[in-house]
Amino acid sequence: MYYYVYDEFIQDPRFERDLALIETRVTDLGIAGKIARLALFRDPKELIRDEIRKGAKTIVAVGNDVTLRRVIDAVGDTGAVIGTIPLGKDNLMLSDILGIPVGVEACDILSARIIEQLDTGEVNGRRFLHTVSAPQVSQLEVQVERTYKLKAYKKCSLEVRNLAIADEDVRAANPVDGKLECVLRTLAKGLFRKNKYNVSIVPAKEFHVTLSEIVKCQADGEEFESNELRFKIIPKALKVITGKGRKF
Amino acid sequence: MAKNQGSETIIAHGVRVEGDFVSDGDVVIEGEVAGNVQAAGDLRIGDQAKIHADVIARNAVVSGEIRGNLQVSEKLELLASSRMIGDIVASILSVASGAQINGKITMDGREIKVKKEEKESED
Repeated sequence: MYYYVYDEFIQDPRFERDLALIETRVTDLGIAGKIARLALFRDPKELIRDEIRKGAKTIVAVGNDVTLRRVIDAVGDTGAVIGTIPLGKDNLMLSDILGIPVGVEACDILSARIIEQLDTGEVNGRRFLHTVSAPQVSQLEVQVERTYKLKAYKKCSLEVRNLAIADEDVRAANPVDGKLECVLRTLAKGLFRKNKYNVSIVPAKEFHVTLSEIVKCQADGEEFESNELRFKIIPKALKVITGKGRKF
Repeated sequence: MAKNQGSETIIAHGVRVEGDFVSDGDVVIEGEVAGNVQAAGDLRIGDQAKIHADVIARNAVVSGEIRGNLQVSEKLELLASSRMIGDIVASILSVASGAQINGKITMDGREIKVKKEEKESED
């Protein structure tokens, strides 16, 4: 049984046509289901958990990455399969990595049901799918799996990646390898006073990071403050429908 | 530095490693290490790197400084800027002009075992 979670922003009239096409297509494909419309005071966790208890096996986030993250948080470890139908223009990085096209074409991907079991990361008890980042600090120490320590002796920023595409200086992070990647960017002198970074990459299952000061960190775009970060990987924690064009 | 694939570990300049560093994949070290290093794959030690450790790897290319014993099960390449203070065990050895070696070299084909990362059993 499918359960579709419509984000608040797609209830705008400019998405009316897209939604009509999507609803027709899911009916044609035989994957139609109940629809929940998110609103300001409607807790998605309560709605989704309730529907899973009633027998929903696939929860589909209709919206953007924020919608998908809210669905992931709500599904947690219930074992339900997560799908997404991306809409709009902004905040669609996760669906792009998962290989899901925007709009009605995503319905065919849902129907094909290529399910991947993805790892999720945990930082200070909070789950994340994508990355956690901390801004540049003067001192930073990372204890890796209780066997060795990394100490940055120059100004350094931190990023811990679970599911991420390759960027200028770092490779893509694979969410099915059972490891997180700790990325440290230490400041190096560049030509003409342009900042340049040396990049360290350490894959591991557990990290304990101590920062020299309390800083604003971001877990999948959500802010929190801390000077101590405990990371661990939860292997194969999520069942997610992906497209053939997925980037991992 | 070039982009890399797989579970390669990179320790860049500006970072120091302390303790027993074991990797199942390839390792690139441009920073400092104190302790032990074991790489089941290929090991590259950059010209700014300073290693105060015993090192074991499958293949190694060294252009920095190692103070400790180095054991390589296959091929070891010491480049012109390398400085080795310790004993070497290797099957195949290539030494560039300018490389410094202060220690004993053994090439008797002995078996070198690299410790693997501990793997958790799946329930």
